[in-house]
Order: sequence, then structure tokens, then C-alpha cells
Amino acid sequence: MTTMNRRNFIATLGIAGSAALLAGCSNDTAEQEPAADDAAESTDEASYTLVKEGVLTNVAELGFSPFEYIDDEGTTVGFDVDLSNAIAEKMGLTCEWLPNQAFDTLVPTIQQGGKADICIAGMTITDERLESVDFSDPYLNSNQALIVAASSDATTESLNAAEVQIACQTGTTGDEWIQENLPNATRVPLADVTAGMMGVSTGSYQAMVIDLPVAQNMLAQSFSDLKVLEEIPTGEQYGIAVSKDNPELLAAVNDALAQIEEDGTMDEIKQKWFGTTEI
Amino acid sequence: MQHRRGALLVALALALTGAFALAAPRPAQALTTEKATARPNEDGGSSVIGGMDTRLTWEGTVEPGEEVTSVTLTLPEGSTFDHSTTRITALDGLSRMDVTGEAVPAGDSITVTFDQAIPEGSLLRLEITNMQFPSKGGDVVVSGSYEAADGTHDLADSPAIATIANTPLQSLVNWLDEQPWVEAWNSNQFLGMFLRPQLLVTSFSSLAPGWLLCLGIVVAAYPFAIALGLLFAMLKISKWKIVRAVAVVYINVLRGTPLFLQIYIMFFGLPMLNINIDNNVLGIIVMAINSSAYLAEIFRAGIQSIPQGQYEAASSLGMNYVQTMFNVILPQTVRRVIPTVTSDFITAFKDTSLLSSVGVMELMMFSKNLTTVTGNITPYVAAGIFYLIVTLPLIKVVGIVEENIARSERGAGPRPKRRADIADNADALVGKGAAEKNGVAEEGVARAVVAKEVAADAC
Repeated sequence: MTTMNRRNFIATLGIAGSAALLAGCSNDTAEQEPAADDAAESTDEASYTLVKEGVLTNVAELGFSPFEYIDDEGTTVGFDVDLSNAIAEKMGLTCEWLPNQAFDTLVPTIQQGGKADICIAGMTITDERLESVDFSDPYLNSNQALIVAASSDATTESLNAAEVQIACQTGTTGDEWIQENLPNATRVPLADVTAGMMGVSTGSYQAMVIDLPVAQNMLAQSFSDLKVLEEIPTGEQYGIAVSKDNPELLAAVNDALAQIEEDGTMDEIKQKWFGTTEI
Repeated sequence: MQHRRGALLVALALALTGAFALAAPRPAQALTTEKATARPNEDGGSSVIGGMDTRLTWEGTVEPGEEVTSVTLTLPEGSTFDHSTTRITALDGLSRMDVTGEAVPAGDSITVTFDQAIPEGSLLRLEITNMQFPSKGGDVVVSGSYEAADGTHDLADSPAIATIANTPLQSLVNWLDEQPWVEAWNSNQFLGMFLRPQLLVTSFSSLAPGWLLCLGIVVAAYPFAIALGLLFAMLKISKWKIVRAVAVVYINVLRGTPLFLQIYIMFFGLPMLNINIDNNVLGIIVMAINSSAYLAEIFRAGIQSIPQGQYEAASSLGMNYVQTMFNVILPQTVRRVIPTVTSDFITAFKDTSLLSSVGVMELMMFSKNLTTVTGNITPYVAAGIFYLIVTLPLIKVVGIVEENIARSERGAGPRPKRRADIADNADALVGKGAAEKNGVAEEGVARAVVAKEVAADAC
């Protein structure tokens, strides 16, 4: 009899405990709602962890204009930077950028955690990357571009040959595109986009594959001797990478993103960097 | 009737794709197959291996006046779409449309049903991750069917995707995948990230060419570096000010700027001057020039560390400057600089890693590629091991040589092996008759004289 009682007691305790837990959870969400409404006050800061308190730490490859790059004055600027600032503002945080890091190390960095909270780096959401990190809702659509020298008479078909060297940024979707679509060409993965474009312009490489907005921007800014041979429709979508261990942060980022879309901030930023909101 | 026409067209399309596997299929249907590609899944390679997870990308265009509500892709028997995930993209030109849908895998086929019909003129793109091709390999054609407003029709076959059967290496990796100890090992986040056994295996095989290239570059560069270094060392101790100035500028500029910068200047600057050299050769040139500056300083210091008495003794034997240098000073210098030169060789070997930034396919480049594909740091660790294979023995050599020199400088233990060289030189001197017998017993040269006398006795 006594054992029965004890077992019952424990069971009751367990039920009560989980009920309390559940109640706790629902209380949390209930509290978050109004907090999010008045531009995220301190109450929901506790629900996610940040590398540095009060600061949203970003990591990116900072040679990807117009998304993130270092301007003449040495400041990190770009579409993603403005977006990240806006997100941080909605979350009641300030925004900081880690020093430049190679693109292919970004996913591992976020996956490991401890260095950066989010990675907003013109990074396409792919199922492979989703195995390592979580992504926010997509914030921008993009495509790929095949770039050659303006004087080149190459075609996409003629580039698929062993003696052709095609540059790309290591670990990008453009990198994968070359592997799949120009399997005979020699792929040259490089750390930064400028090195690739320089290479194409000097003739070291015959072509380069990179995200279309970046190609358009850099060709207009500094590589007038290059041209976009083919706009490759991939319809890929950029997302913000967040560690899988930090789902609350992901939710908060998504929340902020939704607000930014809604209140027109997104359109403002798009207008500023692309001269159009249709992108 | 409609159906028969469809079937006829399919047959036609089949014949066409058969004949022109790469040519774009004719727009004969509501949904025209544009292409099908697979992501290479060979660890460290570029092949598509059957029986292993990979990603299939299929693209098709919806023809004018048509709409597509669902697509079924079918692969040959042995393929599987089970446990795959599908990304649906529909594009109008370059702009993405809001299309959602559901993919239902069923063995070797997958049916994607769209919540909204895909409108005319759009490009439909399906990316199916974690599907597998038949494990026997071979050319794989994606076929299937689609549902348009007027019913279900067959899809034109895609261009063939070349796949291969499993490689022994890959089998080893797959075997490792199944081992419980490997799983336990990898469940530790640090070990799994830095020392994943499966990746170590693939890294070793796929990094080897990069390692050989590194070694090739530095071994090819070093003789030039030594020659150039010696030249500039001589220039720097020259008595003419202008010559000295040239050497000082050369050495200081090269030692005072990062190798990385020198690489960039050479790799991007030269082509702009319309000088196009093969990347690997250019790598050898950069490494040789960079090392030569360091070697010049090493040789200069080595030469100047030889006591003045040696010069005096040599000149008292009637040697001129060139003879003194090549017969007395440099042989002794060589012995003294061997440890430092070896250290510099080690540095140069490691510095070849910087060439990866300009597209030389060396060790770091290979490991970077692997890291990219796998999202794991292990290939870098494997690269580290490859570097150590060369550097550790060399470091050991440096230690032994230093020890020897230190002992001989202290005057203890056996004489250094280099003594034989000096004896040889003495022979040469005897042959030339340059050294007259005289009673000078200056320390180092005394050895040469003794050796010469020994040689004379032997005669």
C-alpha cells in the first residue's frame, strides 16, 4: 500500500511539475507578445542567448558588395548591414560585426556558436546548410551570373572544357553551380570575389560565377571590362543563419524581419542599395 | 486522341534527346525538360556516386498557354527519393514566384504537387536533396510525368547524368560511418569537428596531389632561391656602395613586405602587363624570390661570422678574393648556415599555403574545398598532418646539425663531417699549386694545410 501511495505521489508530482513547466512556457509567450509590440523591450532579452549582452554579433565575408563590404572609410556597410542594424534595433540591441571571415567558414562558425549570433552574408538557404544551421525567413531573392571579359566570345557551352578555368567564391552556390553545370571546366574557388574578378579581367580565369546582384554591382562600380554572359535563374533566397541551439533568437530575428517588411523599412533599404524595391 | 499525340511527341522528344543529349529539347509539351544535374558527392572528388546521398536539380519550362499542377520525376530502378527534401522554385525570367507545394517521395520516383498551378512561361526548378542514384552507377536519365490542365503526360527524358559505382575509398568511409565507435567519437563536438575519421580518410587521399604540388613548388624554387640569395649576399658585402644599395633595397623590400602581398602583385600585376605565366611556375618564381631575400641575409651573416683570421691566412697562402671565398670562406659558411637555411626551407614550405589565395591548387586549396563541401574542419587538420610529414623530419635535422656544430665549436666530440670538403678543397689547391709551403699555422687553414700534406704524403 505504501509503495502504491509513494508511486502515486511521485506521479502526481511529475504531472504537477510538467503542468507548471507548460504553464511557464505559455506565460513566456504571453509575455513576449506585448513586448514585441512595443519594439521589444528588455523582457524578452532573457529568452535567447547572445555572445555579448545587448549586442547582436554578426559574422560575414566582407567583400560582397553591395551586401556587405568595407567602404573607403573602413566602415562595414551594405544592404545586409543596414538590414542587420534594423533587426537589432527592433530587438532593442546594438549591432556589431566581427572582422572579415572567409565565406566557407561562416556556417561552421555559426554551427559551433560562441563567436557570433547571426550570419547575414548574402547566404542562400540550402537544404545542405540547413543540416548545420537554422535559417531565418528568406529576406531577398537572388540569382547567379556567369561573368566573362567584355571582349570574350565564349559561350556557356564553350566554357565547359578542361582547359577553361572558372573562378568562384569558395562555398557559394555559384561554386556548386559550376560543379554541376560546367563539370569539365577547372573550377577555381577563391576566398574573395574581387580576386576572381581581377583574375577574369587579367585573363587568368576565363569566367566567374557569382550572385547576380553582386556581379551587377561590381561590374558597374569597378570592372567595366567584364560582362555578364548569362543571367542564371536560380531563384535562390538569402536567409540569416542562426545556430540550431538558439531557436529563441531565430524566432526573435524572424519577428523583427516581419516587422521590417511590414513597416516599410525593408523597402527603404532596398531602395537605398538597389534603387528599386522590386528585387 | 490527345493522349496519342502526347505519346507520339514523347517518342519524338525521346528520339531527339537520344540523338542530341545536350541540345535543348524542342518545346513540344506543356512542360519541357531543360536539364537535370546532380551534385558531385564523392568526398574530395567530382564524381556523382550511386547509392550515396546527393542532390538532384531538375529544371523545366512551362510552355505558353499551359499550366502545370504537379510533376513526377522517375529515376531508374535502384534509385531512391526516400528521406529526401525538396526545394521548389518557380521563376518568371529572373524573378521568383511564390509557389509552394508538397513533395511525396515513393522509392525511385517523387511526386511534387503544387498548391498553385505553375503559370505559362515560367521556369520550374526542383532541388531534391538527399536522394540516391542506383549504386551500380552508369548514365542516369530522369523521366517522369506531369499534370497539366488537360491531364497527365509523360515528361521528356532529361540529358543523362553520369554516375559511378562506389569507389574502394568511399566504401571504407561508408564502413566507418556504420561503426559505433566512430559514432561515439564524432558525438563529441570537438572530435567530430576536427578529427572526424571518415573525413581524415578521404582527406588523405584527396589532399595528396596538393601536398605533392606544395613540395614540388618549394623544391623547384629552392635552388634558385639559394643561387639568388648567394648573389645578393655577395652584393651586400661588396665594396661598391651602389651595388650594396641595390642589394639592400632588394633584401629589405622583400623581407619587409608580406609574402601575401608579393603573391598578389605577381599574380595580378604580371598578367596586366600582358605577361602570362602558368600559375604553378609563377608560384615557384614568387617563392624563389621571397626566399632569396631571407637566404641572402642568412648567407651574409654566415660569411661575416667567419673570423677575419681566415681571410688573412688565405691571403698569406697567396689566394685571391674569389679563391678565398670559394675555397675557404663559403665551405665554412655552408656548415654554419645549414640549420638556418633548413629553417627557412620549412618556412617556405609552409608559406606555399598562401598560394591558395590566388588559385594554385596546393594543399590548403584542396582542404579548403573539402571543408566547404563538408562544413567540417578535419581537412585542415589533415593538411596540418601533411605539412608535418615534411617539417618534423627537417626540424629534427636542424636539431642534429646544430648539436654537431655546437659540439665542434666547443672543440669537443668528433669533427663535423664538413671537414672532408675542406680536405677536398685542399686537394684542389695542391693541384693548382696555389698554396706554397709556408709556416703559417693559422687555426682553420692549418687543417687544410695538414690535409694537403696528408694528400702529398699519399702521393
